[in-house]
Amino acid sequence: MKKMLPESELARDERFVRTKIEDRLFDPRGPKVAQRNTGPARMGPDRPAAGERSRSLMHGIFVGEIQALEGAGRTCYDFDDETAPFQLKLDMARQCWDESRHCEISVKLGDHMGTEIGEYTESTFLFAAACNPDPVLRLCGVNRALEGLAIDVFNSMKEFGNESGDPILEFCEDWMLADEVTHVKMGSDWLRRLTDTDPERRERALEFQRTVDAIFNLGGFRGDDEENPVQLARNFRRLAGFTDEENDSLAALARESTEQAREMAEMAAAALDASAQGS
Amino acid sequence: MTESTKPRAPFAPWDRRELPGLFLVEESARRVGNYKWAEMRLFEALGGWVATVPELDVKLVLGRHTYHHAWHAELWHKRLPELREMNPDRLTVPPNEAFVTFMDAVREPEAADETIEKLVGVYRVLLPRFIAVYTFHLNATSRITDAPTIRSLKFALQDEFDDWRDGEMLLQSLIDSPEKVERAGRRQVELEQLYLASGGIAGPGSLGDDSEATEGERVS
Repeated sequence: MKKMLPESELARDERFVRTKIEDRLFDPRGPKVAQRNTGPARMGPDRPAAGERSRSLMHGIFVGEIQALEGAGRTCYDFDDETAPFQLKLDMARQCWDESRHCEISVKLGDHMGTEIGEYTESTFLFAAACNPDPVLRLCGVNRALEGLAIDVFNSMKEFGNESGDPILEFCEDWMLADEVTHVKMGSDWLRRLTDTDPERRERALEFQRTVDAIFNLGGFRGDDEENPVQLARNFRRLAGFTDEENDSLAALARESTEQAREMAEMAAAALDASAQGS
Repeated sequence: MTESTKPRAPFAPWDRRELPGLFLVEESARRVGNYKWAEMRLFEALGGWVATVPELDVKLVLGRHTYHHAWHAELWHKRLPELREMNPDRLTVPPNEAFVTFMDAVREPEAADETIEKLVGVYRVLLPRFIAVYTFHLNATSRITDAPTIRSLKFALQDEFDDWRDGEMLLQSLIDSPEKVERAGRRQVELEQLYLASGGIAGPGSLGDDSEATEGERVS
């Protein structure tokens, strides 16, 4: 078996439908949808299509957990004992078990919420972040950026479960949230240990984390404001070892990303209008 | 009322443990180092395969088992310094080159349509041998002097039995045609030949031999 598996080779059964992130970002329907003023985007049971949105997010969580499992598994395999210390691989093996349970939980929650495997598409950019050839950068991208995002997503879903009177959803998200805090701690721990005497490598790793964070803000998907569907879970992030400074910086990045997305949507809408008037 | 000062035997009548065992400290450490090496190569392969199997149930089971074998490797890693090996890496080695060839062959399948080959190697060849070699160590070592190793062996064995059953059930559900029976059989034979050539997870004598039995009597 070769080292470093490209995301295109991730094995799936026929139910799964894969899309590229570009397809989503440049979906021609996007600008028109963005023009609709439907109020705050924060997830809540009183929001339009709350059920549909929560099912879609749950499916996203499910495929994300599969890729997180695959990423942790590949980190056990891709590196020799010199490049990745034994204890790091043990942590990744533990994460494999955790992510495997998260897949089980998510698929059962999907059933519970009325969706099924393959009802929504899967994009594999999460796994792409787990393909970095440097284990420190990989852990920063996955364990600090993506598992950090998972803290935000699970906390938002947990609150949604509470507000919508769904104790099963709230219960499951609470348990998964505990694991994600552990995974972020692992990432922070290994970043510190492996770059203790190499500040340049540490900076590269943190830069990679910022890049992944920026991608996963997804034009306002996650942030501190009412217009972000997924809220920054500051308390749990603090528990996981993120400093207030890091959280503030992430919130600023999210606001920037939201603003960029809005500008892009306005430009695209204007282009659409001009095109419609011309025809 | 019990008399607290009344002398009692140090071993209760039902405690039949005896001092003698087949292994000196050095031999126990050598074997533990071999176990750690094999468990490491196994958990790495299971982790690597997760992304390459399309069957969702297999994917999730492999994820769980990856941790089980990593944990066994960790148990052995922690036991080595207690067996006077202060540099655990020194003994974290395969017993011989033939065993490396065997493990490489177990880890070789990669394609998405080779799930049967992957699972046969682990669940029909390697895990039954882990069960055998751990059971031998459990039965052969001193139940008093090597008790910490015995405790770890029992934890590991419980996982090996459970994981073997999980894997065998997955295989039985995947092997659904005469052709697949042939495939599974061929793969098993091929790997068993390589295993035989290596002498086992701890090399020749993995399950003991006559001279070891004599040695054990002498140590006692």
